[in-house]
Amino acid sequence: MKKILLIEDDLALSLLYEEELKNEGYSIVVAHDADSALELVKKEPFDLIITDIRMPGKDGIELIANVMGLRKDIPIIINTAYQSYKDDFMTWAADAYIIKSSSLDELKAKIKELIGN
Amino acid sequence: MIERYSLQPSNFNPETPKELVILSIIAQSFFQPFSLEDNLLVILTALTAGSGIGFNRAMLFLNDGMKLKAATWLGPRSPEEAEAIWTMLSSPGIGYAEIVAYNRDLVTKMVKDIQPRLKSLVYDLESRALSLPALAAINKEIILVTEAQNEPAVDPNFINFIKVDSFLCLPLVAQDEILGEIVVDKGITHAPIEAKDIELARLCALLAGNYIYTTNLYKKVVEMEKMAALGEMAAFVSHQLRNPIVAIGGFTTQMLSSPCQPERCRRNLNIIQEQVKHLEDIIYKLSHFLKITIRELKPVDARPILLNLVERPDIKLKAAKKTISLKIPENLPLIQCDPVYFEEAVVNLLDNALDVTPDGGKVYLRARPYNDKYVMIIIKDSGPGLDEKSRDKLFSPFYTTKENGTGLGLLFVKRIIDTCNGKLEVQSKPGRGTMFKLYFKIQERG
Repeated sequence: MKKILLIEDDLALSLLYEEELKNEGYSIVVAHDADSALELVKKEPFDLIITDIRMPGKDGIELIANVMGLRKDIPIIINTAYQSYKDDFMTWAADAYIIKSSSLDELKAKIKELIGN
Repeated sequence: MIERYSLQPSNFNPETPKELVILSIIAQSFFQPFSLEDNLLVILTALTAGSGIGFNRAMLFLNDGMKLKAATWLGPRSPEEAEAIWTMLSSPGIGYAEIVAYNRDLVTKMVKDIQPRLKSLVYDLESRALSLPALAAINKEIILVTEAQNEPAVDPNFINFIKVDSFLCLPLVAQDEILGEIVVDKGITHAPIEAKDIELARLCALLAGNYIYTTNLYKKVVEMEKMAALGEMAAFVSHQLRNPIVAIGGFTTQMLSSPCQPERCRRNLNIIQEQVKHLEDIIYKLSHFLKITIRELKPVDARPILLNLVERPDIKLKAAKKTISLKIPENLPLIQCDPVYFEEAVVNLLDNALDVTPDGGKVYLRARPYNDKYVMIIIKDSGPGLDEKSRDKLFSPFYTTKENGTGLGLLFVKRIIDTCNGKLEVQSKPGRGTMFKLYFKIQERG
């Protein structure tokens, strides 16, 4: 089973994503901030990282930079409410940039494209 | 040895040349709150006042982008009136403010009889067959017209209007932009327009052009600032609303797409209800935030407000397992603020401080005169403190570390303090708690 690390500080949203993606047959590990996510990346192998950008403490952009330093091979999807970070060159390092939507179809399709079922 | 002189021209001695008096009065506008109408009227007065520059009447045209339109026509109606204005101008102590007041009165009187007729004087600057007076503006040159009746370049309708045979057209130009035109004549004294008159008129026209240019620029900047603020606000709001909306939509889809266990349905509905509450909270705070406009700063006695504040039930409930250490001297000077907003600002910070302070911890609320200009209010928590990065983000809209925070509270506090002309300082280090210092201006007595 493919393992995904999900970083989302909003509790309702992280629950939604976790349930919906588990339904698709993935194993999901949730972190609510960048620091605990990095600890997890150091300890466990992941097939994919999905991260928010605006979070308390370290933001998603810093998280991506740190992950790149640890594990260059993990694909990253940015899932955010903010269109504007698309211009930030650090977000180019991610494999996809998705604007949060109440339909998770785009997110699910992108995950399938990147790591399969 | 040093001698001091005021930058602002004051009384002149009788030998001062009239040209200098006029230019000095115009120069006084640099010290006034900028008003285009007033500044232009002062220039028109300088041009037309009896023994002033020596013209009798001045007509102002403004360029609205496509057309040159007559805006106002100023001047005495008789030689006696002209002399009266000049006598007033030359009397000691008369300056910019007096002329403005006099002019406003004069223009109000004129509006009824002349203004409707002035509206017929409109020249299309794009037109090929352009006549005088508009030709001077388009050519950006001063044109002196004599024997106007015999001059085919002059618009007959214009001659019919001003009913003189000789007039001077002064284009108003700045940064190569055509802003308008002033037409002056000696319709009352019927004296010839001389070279020396033109010299002074040219200076007045240059100043008038610059006034209009500055005003246009200022209007553009204000407009741009408004649009930028609006855009920023719209972006922030739409982002902030997105998270709860995505959650509401997502959990609703979940319930609709598969047979839903009653327990799961109930949980989803609870989440949706919570998210709707959060949305309501955002909207309430946002509208509240936008409403802050303090029209008048009042002297506020901070002490009773601060003492009452810690007795508020909401604060008492939060502080149940914590201590609020209060020290407010009895003779605290009055500050400049609005009592309601002052309380809201402090409550906001105290609320935050109580949130981050662990049970058994202390929150400090202090007030004291800082110097002879400011009273300082301190709110300090015993929370985890902030690193430099979080401290920088504190006042950005929608930045929050709270589970149900809107990220508007501190912005709200800052806005209140700004409107009260106060200052705000934050000191924080990880492990050392966070201290907010608010400085409010002391209300001077009398």
